[in-house]
Amino acid sequence: MDWTNLAADLDEAMAALAQGVQTSLVVVHNGKRGAGAGVVWKTGGLVITNFHVVEQRGRISIGRNSRHTAAASLGVTLPDGSEAPARLVSQAPALDLALLQVDGLASPPAPIGDSRQAKVGQVVFAAGHPWGQRGSISAGVISAFDEARSDQTSVPIIRSDVLLGPGNSGGPLVDASGRVLGINTMIVGGDQGVAIPSHVVEAFINEQLVSREPATPPTTSPGAHSDGDWM
Amino acid sequence: MTDEKNSLEAISDALASAVEKAGSATVSVNARRRYPASGVAFNADLILTADHVVEREEDISVTLPDGSTVKAVVAGRDPSSDLAVLRLERPAPTLAEKAAVPARVGQLVLALGRPGSEGIQASLGVVSAIGGPIRTGRGGMLEQYLRTDAIPYPGFSGGPLVNAAGQVLGINTSGLARGASLAIPAALAWGLADTLAQHGHIRRGFLGVRSQPVSIPAAQQSTLGREQESGLLLVGVESNSPAEAGGLLVGDIIVGIAGQPVGDPDELFASLSGPVVGVSTPVEVLRGGRRETIAVTIGERK
Repeated sequence: MDWTNLAADLDEAMAALAQGVQTSLVVVHNGKRGAGAGVVWKTGGLVITNFHVVEQRGRISIGRNSRHTAAASLGVTLPDGSEAPARLVSQAPALDLALLQVDGLASPPAPIGDSRQAKVGQVVFAAGHPWGQRGSISAGVISAFDEARSDQTSVPIIRSDVLLGPGNSGGPLVDASGRVLGINTMIVGGDQGVAIPSHVVEAFINEQLVSREPATPPTTSPGAHSDGDWM
Repeated sequence: MTDEKNSLEAISDALASAVEKAGSATVSVNARRRYPASGVAFNADLILTADHVVEREEDISVTLPDGSTVKAVVAGRDPSSDLAVLRLERPAPTLAEKAAVPARVGQLVLALGRPGSEGIQASLGVVSAIGGPIRTGRGGMLEQYLRTDAIPYPGFSGGPLVNAAGQVLGINTSGLARGASLAIPAALAWGLADTLAQHGHIRRGFLGVRSQPVSIPAAQQSTLGREQESGLLLVGVESNSPAEAGGLLVGDIIVGIAGQPVGDPDELFASLSGPVVGVSTPVEVLRGGRRETIAVTIGERK
């Protein structure tokens, strides 16, 4: 490697990485105030986001554009600015993950890295929409591999020193090659970067795809029917 | 082409390797009630850590990177620089490498810690500032410190601040300067640690004078033979003190100790640290407008 143009080379590598990450990054709206981020994970319009981004808490939820119809309140904004309705395919509150289906989605899926190979100290980037700033990128390193424990469950997490803000939730944590190592979540980490590792996300998705049935209404999220009736 | 890494990927790999390297000499120090803190294996069976995380003198253990736990005793501690040295029952397998080149402002650094059994932890930043000397608590003084914007996670005190090659630039501590995160430069820390391992404490010199800074007129600067704009006017000499025994008088203006100019209290303090304790040391004064050198055997601050 020739280091004479290190700064310029680095600039170029970062810009290319940011551009690549943004092509698979969406804004996820849940019909309420605020929004989260999501990643196009597989072709066919499968988008991963945080459960808490799409959580309805059993309250009345009204579609952004339609107060009186049964329009789906879940939707995404694509990198090109266009909007599309989304359908909740599955959710895993304990993992803070939700799988969405966006029909007709043309965005390419993000390259997925193997989070089990990740190392403390390696450079990572978080992509999302902190404080509403679309497609924002922030940098840091992996700080630790840890577990988020609650009464019953223990979820592996990746901690990083990347600073996150509201709107980063559900967005990707990527490595220096732009491969997704995890999904950022702000439920457990405060403003410090906590991500659900990509191998956990993969396992969640594969489980859903193997046992894929007509979407059943999740018990903790009343009204999440496939017909989009949130009432 | 496929294997060729761009600069970003190369830097990422280098940082991960730096963590792996320095992490192999970063240990977990169990010497307080709350979560453990961190330490650095710096010499055979010796661990350098922060003094403020050593809350007890007994029942201390160190968890090595391989997960094994080794009993340790306090070999020495210095609250004023917030450093402590622990002696292990058996040597640590890997020692930290001290950076040969001192830290520079702007340099990429990683703060490392091992505050538990989950493994090594790290945060990235730069050297934000190099400062000093600063007065610390208990009459101590630190000649130099490093400030960084790398996040000091809980339990990082006593762990290393390393460069991108995994060499130690300093020892992190939040115990100096009221919780602000500083690092004690490696050269300084290693030196203090050697003294602590040998003597158990840091000897700091004592003169027994009260003084105040005064400016030195140009005419008297020419008497000194150098440009030095201030000195320390003695306004008190303690009875039975090293100063009195050596013959220092109220009204003398101290301008140098052991060949080093002394123009303010910080410089006086710094000049009294280290090897001068117990040694007959030349104290340069202005007395009645004339330059005189008086031999004073420096005492030890208790």
